[in-house]
Amino acid sequence: MTDLNKITIKEAHEGLKNKSFSAHELANHSFQIAAESESVLHAHLILMQDEALKSAQDTDKRVLKGDMLGLLDGIPLSIKDNLNLKGNGTTCSSKILSNYISPYDATVVKKLRENGTIFVGKTNLDEFAMGSSTENSAYGPTSNPWDPDYVPGGSSGGSAAVVSVGSALGSLGSDTGGSIRQPASFCGVVGFKPTYGSVSRFGLIAFASSLDQVGPFARTAEDAKIIYQAISGHDPKDATSLNIERKDINEGSSARIGVVKELMGEGIADNVKVEIERVIKLLEAEGNNVTEVSLPMTKMAISIYYLIAPAECSANLARFDGVRFGLRSGGNTSYEMSENTRAEGFGDEVKRRILLGTYALSAGYYDAYYGQALKARSQVINEFSEVFKEVDYLISPSTPSTAFKFGEKTSNPLEMYMSDLCTIPANLAGIPAISIPTGVDDLGLPYSVQLMSPELTDISLLNFSSYVEKIVGFNNSPTKWRKKP
Amino acid sequence: MSQEFNIQEVAKLALIKLNPDEVKKLSKDLEIILSHVEALSKLKIDDSEVTIHPLGIDLTLREDEVENGLNHDESMSNAPEKQDGFFKVPPSME
Repeated sequence: MTDLNKITIKEAHEGLKNKSFSAHELANHSFQIAAESESVLHAHLILMQDEALKSAQDTDKRVLKGDMLGLLDGIPLSIKDNLNLKGNGTTCSSKILSNYISPYDATVVKKLRENGTIFVGKTNLDEFAMGSSTENSAYGPTSNPWDPDYVPGGSSGGSAAVVSVGSALGSLGSDTGGSIRQPASFCGVVGFKPTYGSVSRFGLIAFASSLDQVGPFARTAEDAKIIYQAISGHDPKDATSLNIERKDINEGSSARIGVVKELMGEGIADNVKVEIERVIKLLEAEGNNVTEVSLPMTKMAISIYYLIAPAECSANLARFDGVRFGLRSGGNTSYEMSENTRAEGFGDEVKRRILLGTYALSAGYYDAYYGQALKARSQVINEFSEVFKEVDYLISPSTPSTAFKFGEKTSNPLEMYMSDLCTIPANLAGIPAISIPTGVDDLGLPYSVQLMSPELTDISLLNFSSYVEKIVGFNNSPTKWRKKP
Repeated sequence: MSQEFNIQEVAKLALIKLNPDEVKKLSKDLEIILSHVEALSKLKIDDSEVTIHPLGIDLTLREDEVENGLNHDESMSNAPEKQDGFFKVPPSME
């Protein structure tokens, strides 16, 4: 029988079609890995075995009938627990939503369901997707499969870890400042943040609405493309959803690749720079034209982000007031009840960002903080537009370092924020960006590269990423998680 | 930009009750973050447009068509407390 441990979505689809294995066997294999790994990793908050095996039987019936099988039919995927999946809990890893049951499907979940996808479970995250290590989950952290003493990154740490060990062949995450690409990098899998507005946010519990974007984790860029094609498209239920055609990059036999100077200097670990330079040499050896480009505003990206994201978060999270859903604490008046509910229900990082955002939006400070950040964001976008007149793709590290240890960055919030240094610019500009694993460091922790491309060129970027994967030829899987007691 | 920062005032606006430890810790954290973002104030970008949608697209509302959405019971299925089909909350004034 085919080795299901390293199987891709594409291969699994072929296997199902050719009856090399059944969807039931494939799903069972996912739950077997989950049973072996969850006690070490804590990557899933819930597993949905009964529902999943039932869906797998439906796929198997379609195979028997000889129906045309869609690319995701019978494929086990996991969903970040800030996306609504009808009839199941959606906690956002927060105490405030501990008892919340989704009465509807997010558009992306609905689309996967219509494709016959098998849902393995809901994955752990930093509370309300605010964090870079999954240490901010109210239900306990997720560990990195490459070394469980290290964080898996965040906020979509659970979604990255499950693909890394294979309890799901792919997963969905959300990326506001790097929450897909950074954990993908730390866990040695592919993580793709699409063009802002190309994937519906309906049913994604909002954190920062002008930055949030749903996207896939997978073992290969080709698999990420399969998931992206299934979940993207205009959605009338999301006012920011795009209804315009995609663009293609025709790079011909050699691509023009820009190395972002500002993301190869201060703040980036030396070993990470060496790895990026190694990949650049491989690209040059293939005849690609690599030049250095400058995006000076990327140095301001963290400051811009930490005004815009908290401001939008403070508005979005105002809905958690104990009235209509979620936790309710005691209080003699409605006001007191809400104050107590939010005090009890939110964790430290969420409180920090709500307070920061509330301050940045308050009378007398709005123009100086939020207004100024929105103008600076326009400058970031302009710089990217200018650079993309000269190059097809941009290359940089996905993260300033490889994975860090638990507790290493929890005492100073700014230090944690700096781990999104390389990923935030793409969110501000709304452009597609992807993290691809390329190797491992001396400790055996994954390295990666980030590639970015102009808005709406998602498919070109994914195709180019497949090409980069082939040149790099990295295909290791984590083993250390199995050795932990 | 001003560095004046009264965390109790902000917490009141944000509807979050803070305990004394949180007041101390969060004040310090927010001062660190605010002094970092101070760099933005030095940018000369007064004439720049503000960005709402990064692709510069106007936000569009869907047609107001009747469709099967959540029914009343489903809409209230997560209510912490309800009575006669309404959300029930403590009094607004003491």
